[in-house]
Amino acid sequence: MPIGTPPTSVRPAAAGPAGETARAAAPRTVRGPRRGNLRFPRAERLAPYVLVAPAVLVIAGLRLYPLALGVNFSFTGDGDRNGQNVGWDNYRTLFGDPLFAEAMRNTGLLVLLLPVAVAIPGLLATFIYLRVPGHRLYRSVYFFPAVLSPVIIGAIFNLLLAYDGPANALLGAVGLGPVDWLGDPDVAIYAVVGVHVWATFGMALVVFLAGFATLDTSLIDAARVDGASLPLVIRHVIVPGLARTIQFVVVTTMIGMLTSMFGLLYVMTGGGPEGSTYLPEYYIWFQQGQMSRPALASAASTVLFVVMLAVGLAQLAILRRSGRED
Amino acid sequence: MKRRALWSTALIAPLALYGCGSAAAPDSGSEGGDGTLVVWDWKSGDATAASYIEAAKADFAERHPDVEVEFVAQPFDQYYNLLGTAIQSGEGPDVMLFNGGGQLRDRADALLPLDDLLAEDMDRLAGWEAFTADGQVYAAPVTLQGHPLYYNKALYEEAGLDPEAPAATWEEFLADCAAITEATGADCFAMGNKEGYGIQFFLSGIGPGVLSPEEYDAWIAGDRDWTSPGVRRVFELWVEAEQAGLNNDGVNSTAMFNDEFALFDAGEAAHVVGLMSDVGHWKEFGEFIGAENVGVMPAPVAAAGAAPALPYDGGIGYGVAEWTADPELAADLVRSLTSTAALEAFYADAGAIAADTTIDASGAGPAAAAIVAQIPTGKPALHVALSAETLELMGRLSQELLSGSTTVDEALGELAASDQAS
Repeated sequence: MPIGTPPTSVRPAAAGPAGETARAAAPRTVRGPRRGNLRFPRAERLAPYVLVAPAVLVIAGLRLYPLALGVNFSFTGDGDRNGQNVGWDNYRTLFGDPLFAEAMRNTGLLVLLLPVAVAIPGLLATFIYLRVPGHRLYRSVYFFPAVLSPVIIGAIFNLLLAYDGPANALLGAVGLGPVDWLGDPDVAIYAVVGVHVWATFGMALVVFLAGFATLDTSLIDAARVDGASLPLVIRHVIVPGLARTIQFVVVTTMIGMLTSMFGLLYVMTGGGPEGSTYLPEYYIWFQQGQMSRPALASAASTVLFVVMLAVGLAQLAILRRSGRED
Repeated sequence: MKRRALWSTALIAPLALYGCGSAAAPDSGSEGGDGTLVVWDWKSGDATAASYIEAAKADFAERHPDVEVEFVAQPFDQYYNLLGTAIQSGEGPDVMLFNGGGQLRDRADALLPLDDLLAEDMDRLAGWEAFTADGQVYAAPVTLQGHPLYYNKALYEEAGLDPEAPAATWEEFLADCAAITEATGADCFAMGNKEGYGIQFFLSGIGPGVLSPEEYDAWIAGDRDWTSPGVRRVFELWVEAEQAGLNNDGVNSTAMFNDEFALFDAGEAAHVVGLMSDVGHWKEFGEFIGAENVGVMPAPVAAAGAAPALPYDGGIGYGVAEWTADPELAADLVRSLTSTAALEAFYADAGAIAADTTIDASGAGPAAAAIVAQIPTGKPALHVALSAETLELMGRLSQELLSGSTTVDEALGELAASDQAS
């Protein structure tokens, strides 16, 4: 009977009590049908289905069915052709739209920038772990932005990065020309991603610190005694010891970058300049609301869903592999 | 176990049924003709619009005392998203507020034609064109929205120029700007194109000084030649103004609302193409630089044959949803919302140029008086005639023009294609 069997990847120590309960329960459930009267076996056979029914119904009714409706809707037209079947027209429009291409390119850029977004909290957590002077202060300071809403962060950085704002004043003071942070199409996306990383790395930092707590300090001490330099300690002791933590942070940071930058984009650039900071989410919102083309937005949503599905499956594979290593 | 399931079913079923019943009740009420009318807008929550809503409600209650009117103020950022969802589902408010132009035309198929129902108001109100699609009126104008070229008289005086005689031609305008920048350090134009709105205001504010009246009228009527010398000249001026340093720095990262207007408010720019109603207008500018210092000038003539007129359209207006139960009742509410008493209150409290031509505006300062005086000869604004898609594309291309990543010819080619497609 599958119910009650502990998943294989769960560590025995953590699953101890649950495992015992399952073992204790197993004989009872096996014995039941054998000695009961004729009415019981059917009830017991049906019980699992009844028990999982709410979850299945919720998923089917509130997830899968709307998803199917959305996909179906993406094959209908907008405006004059509202409700008519237009085949693949929306998808043709979508892939012919330079704005959508830009949005997908930017998604690719985010994936490329992922190592940076993971390395920053990792490195800072390492410094805190190695007790650099003032590490207690840094620990709380680094986490502070994580509690601010993207709208507030966006507004703050709008002021800081304004053409006549403090960031450019600082550059001017050291003799560098002003940079149009949010107005130059080659710079704006990096400015927004930079702010996003600044705003969210606190959470990853905490996860890293938790990972460090499980690290065996005797290994580091041993490496030091053997005369290993700091970079070598990081490379050969800390990183391997934190492999699972790093994988977890990679997955969560990736999800964060792909799904929660809308607020920042909306406040900081509005997709501009020249459409250089569009992301699929923003594109969907824009087409649905501002251009009143909900069917096209549905098509874009479907494409985004497929992309996220692929990314999600890849992430599951990574997590599963790391689970097996353990 | 089975008995317990039966019990809980017996308990839950009436609750569920009760839920359905209570959800259905208000609907059945409004179908009867009298009951509740629901209005969606983004204004009724503002303190400055309170007296307007009161006056409109009172006017409507006089004629239909048994009908309740419910105003639902939506956040403007999300307004058209929410409205789009309502339209998609075919149910929502009975009466709704719209911006004139593309936002209304894109959604005209969800609205009721009002030509017959509002026939009596046609002469009293101005600005119908912005609420007309395919020859039929879909909403009644509440305010007029336009794009006058404002200037700061104090800066003119400081530069030794006559504030009452602004430049009539583009050459004189450039000379004045040079003198002002020299004497005061202020930029010629306050310009914000972060959202791509700067080009829209520039096209409508400066365009009348470039296009001939015939070409202007043809443009409004939908016969637009994007490769004509006049249209090309407008976009060339857009680029030249930036290259000649007439604009403030960082145009593509300056938000029009409200960083651009803040520059004009602070006296850091001498000119701005602003609005007539709501924000970025004579009343707001007057609060900062003094009502007596706010000037309104016609667009400087930059091409022979141009005869500049004030560009304005219906600003916001109320339309009736196609799915409403009683169209006449809803249209009556629209009439109350555009009654003279209500619009007078709106004009006085919100600082909007109301659509009612019978309201006296002489008490609101020289700029408002100058605008109202030009309304009879005014024409619809150039950018309002364009579809939302073309406007969006124009915003993006205008940013590329400023950064030099496209040319005027390429941009006009793309705009012509987009304009034809929509």
